[in-house]
Amino acid sequence: MNAQQVLEGTVYNIEKVPLSGVTIKVQEDTTLVAITDNDGRYSLLLPSNNVSYTIVAHMFGMRISRWGMKSSEERLVHDFVLREKIQNLGTVVVTATRTPKLLMDVPMVTRVIDARDIQVSDAGTVQELLQVELPGIEFSYTMNQQVNLNMQGFGGNSVLFLVDGERLAGETMDNVDYARLTLENVERIEVVKGAASSLYGSNAVGGVVNLISSTINDPWTLSIGARYGSFNDGRYNGNFSFNCGKISSVTNAQYVHTDPIHLSDSGDIHNIYGTHSFNTKERLLFRINDRLKVNARAGYFFRERESAVVSHERYRDFSGGTKVDYAINDSSDISLSYSFDQYDKSDYACLSGADVRDYSNVQHSLRGIASHVHPTLGTLTAGGDAMRDYLMSYQFAAPGYHEQYTADAFMQWDWSVSEKLNVVTSFRYDYFSKANASHLSPKLNIMYKIDEVTLRATYANGFRAPTLKEMYMNFDMANIFMIYGNADLKPEVSNNANFSVEWNHNACHITTLAFYNYVENRITTMWNIARNGMVYDNMAPVNIYGVDFAASARWDNGIGARLSYVYTHESVDENGLNTSETRPHTATMRVDYRYAWRWGVSVIALNGRALSAVTSDVYTDLTDLTQHERQTYPGYVMWRLTANHTFKKGVKLTLTIDNLLGYKPEYYYSNSPATVGRTYAVGLSWNIEQAFEKSDED
Amino acid sequence: MVAYRKLIVLMSLLAVLTSCEGIFGGIYDEPVTDQDSRFSHIEENADGKSGTIYVDAHAYDRWTYIDLHHKTIDTSNIVLGQSAPHDWDFALHRYDAKTNNGSVAETMLDNVNFIDGRFNFAELAFYADVDSHVVIDMSNMMSGTLEYAPSDVNPVLSRWMDVDLSQMPPIYTMSGRVYLAQFADSTLAALQFVNYMNESFAKGYITIRYRYPVNKVGKN
Repeated sequence: MNAQQVLEGTVYNIEKVPLSGVTIKVQEDTTLVAITDNDGRYSLLLPSNNVSYTIVAHMFGMRISRWGMKSSEERLVHDFVLREKIQNLGTVVVTATRTPKLLMDVPMVTRVIDARDIQVSDAGTVQELLQVELPGIEFSYTMNQQVNLNMQGFGGNSVLFLVDGERLAGETMDNVDYARLTLENVERIEVVKGAASSLYGSNAVGGVVNLISSTINDPWTLSIGARYGSFNDGRYNGNFSFNCGKISSVTNAQYVHTDPIHLSDSGDIHNIYGTHSFNTKERLLFRINDRLKVNARAGYFFRERESAVVSHERYRDFSGGTKVDYAINDSSDISLSYSFDQYDKSDYACLSGADVRDYSNVQHSLRGIASHVHPTLGTLTAGGDAMRDYLMSYQFAAPGYHEQYTADAFMQWDWSVSEKLNVVTSFRYDYFSKANASHLSPKLNIMYKIDEVTLRATYANGFRAPTLKEMYMNFDMANIFMIYGNADLKPEVSNNANFSVEWNHNACHITTLAFYNYVENRITTMWNIARNGMVYDNMAPVNIYGVDFAASARWDNGIGARLSYVYTHESVDENGLNTSETRPHTATMRVDYRYAWRWGVSVIALNGRALSAVTSDVYTDLTDLTQHERQTYPGYVMWRLTANHTFKKGVKLTLTIDNLLGYKPEYYYSNSPATVGRTYAVGLSWNIEQAFEKSDED
Repeated sequence: MVAYRKLIVLMSLLAVLTSCEGIFGGIYDEPVTDQDSRFSHIEENADGKSGTIYVDAHAYDRWTYIDLHHKTIDTSNIVLGQSAPHDWDFALHRYDAKTNNGSVAETMLDNVNFIDGRFNFAELAFYADVDSHVVIDMSNMMSGTLEYAPSDVNPVLSRWMDVDLSQMPPIYTMSGRVYLAQFADSTLAALQFVNYMNESFAKGYITIRYRYPVNKVGKN
């Protein structure tokens, strides 16, 4: 019998966290294999024959690490450090196909902002995060200082925001309440640009943004955090989770407040209102057996905007739902879910204390979805939704509310023709009772891989049904003019085609995507002479096309870099004028450096955001469309420097300087950044369970 | 099978509990429907020298006259050419204000109860009404046409409210200051405008805290 040598050690990531499930094998003899345990430890028996071996450590989503050695009879210890692949191509994403797929295998280009990106950016809101991470996204202000999204030519009502795949009730000025989308407990954000109505129905005209909550793996976690910055901007949060046998739970709460900001005495916007908000969520998971899981969730959100001395605007949301996942067998599963979401607005009278509700959107949704994986024919997914949509609004005439029912059915076929070629096609049929509208949305994705290059081509149809507000509004705007709904509105429809090339090579990742959208019947308000007021109507067709480029790299020395750029051309032809305010050139940049040392892990990151100027035709008299002028909105560049250090007992300190160069607009347009110069923030958080883990070791 | 039945019961319960028109409606206050009756009257405190004035000034075609001597409120329609009542001290039209041959000074105080014997009246500058005009019809504003009527306006007392029409909806900003109005008979009133909305949040319904008469010497 030959003598054997024991090779053992631990595999860590760059932040010195042990990695389980890492394969350790001998390159010269593939029968010699070990897998790291929950503590990242491995042990491998080698023949002690004085032969040189190359030991390989690899894990999906991580870069391979190799170590050369010569076997002997000594006991040998070697630790590996694995670094993540760029763009985290091993991440499982769900948005593009409604089924779990590796990011590298999804047929539509999907941008993933993971928990580490969120931490490095130190973004407090989803608006900040999306703007700093992705070019082509701009949040500005619209009437009554409400937030308005423009994502490569598509507004807030044409980009579908989801939380774990669920829609959000309520809107203000065509945008959901982004303050509801807290970044606490978010594992990743998946952004799919382009039409996606064949899977998600109405509103997925220009893209889908899906916030995915973190999963529960540890026996328990407890964390608290506080962040304080300029203008009394405070964010405080707490999180508790446990995982015991068949039941696991996550509870988190966040409180946010900020003072008013005086921008300027001139300009379109003078002051930013102060605000405070509270958000809490609970998620429960019951694992009844290996095949059956039940999820339950509940949430409450409250926001108060100090828009006037005598009255404040309040926004509340009550949400809940349950979902049952059942694996029929190894190749088939089914999911049933019920979702409830109620978004209320009320006015609070500061003197009398009266809190009067004047808006309530209540949505009840039922959904069923099933998928079957065939070994040669691919994956077939089918499902349907039914929703009751109730809207009470101060903007309606008596009796002040409307309701409608929607129903849909969809089907997707995901076929891997060969190892290199993947074809995904889907169809969805939607019906809306009040709009008396129905729509069939098709989609076709083709993906072809050639070594390190992946080619993707997509045709997709998107649509947006007229909302109850757009059909039935009857609103007196400050005794100045009326805004009327239009029950005869046609649905917005977009035809989207895009083609992308993705190249992955060791530390580098480059994607270039060309896109084209033809949007018909976009819904907007126009002055109606006969009714002497604004009326919702369908616009002339809109063309949107451009190029989306992203390059990123990460090197072994801890330095990472990323550059993303989007060129967008939006042609909005209104009476010979181009009223588009979409900026043609936007870019985001990031350089970061990560260093693990005896006191923990330090990260310093510089994020930049550059937006070009845009010139638009602007009506100077809403009642006379012959009166207009050209308006140029200036471009700008803003930088954000963040530094954080995570100590070994789970304590993390973050310092941020935003608007590093102190940019201040000369004139505050509605799409100018709401900044008066450089701001500062400091944050402190503590993952308490890590302190206990350390104590145990001691 | 027991587990499945429990699930179905759970989902059914959730669907029933969350009513079609929503939940937790009870946390809100009901809108006040008889809002107009609460306005256009004066509530006098027990001391007989202070109180609260509620003025329905929402109509563009109307002046509302306040008589602090007799604690009465009256109106006249501008478009119909109605004349002012015989006795009045000051009047409001939306956020415009005028006096009956009086004058007004703006103080730096933000509470009407701070007007007492220690207050230095000597540094105040009182301003009389001036010839001006008020908007009586906004319905054609979007066509660039506003209809005006000539009227006296007190420029100082009208500073209680700033309406920024450059944005939609307009931005309303109250000064929060206490105003001293000297009436034709030389009596003084301290006025503090504290609200411009009724309980249904309709604008043009004005709440004023007052002290009257204010004695220049000694505590009131």
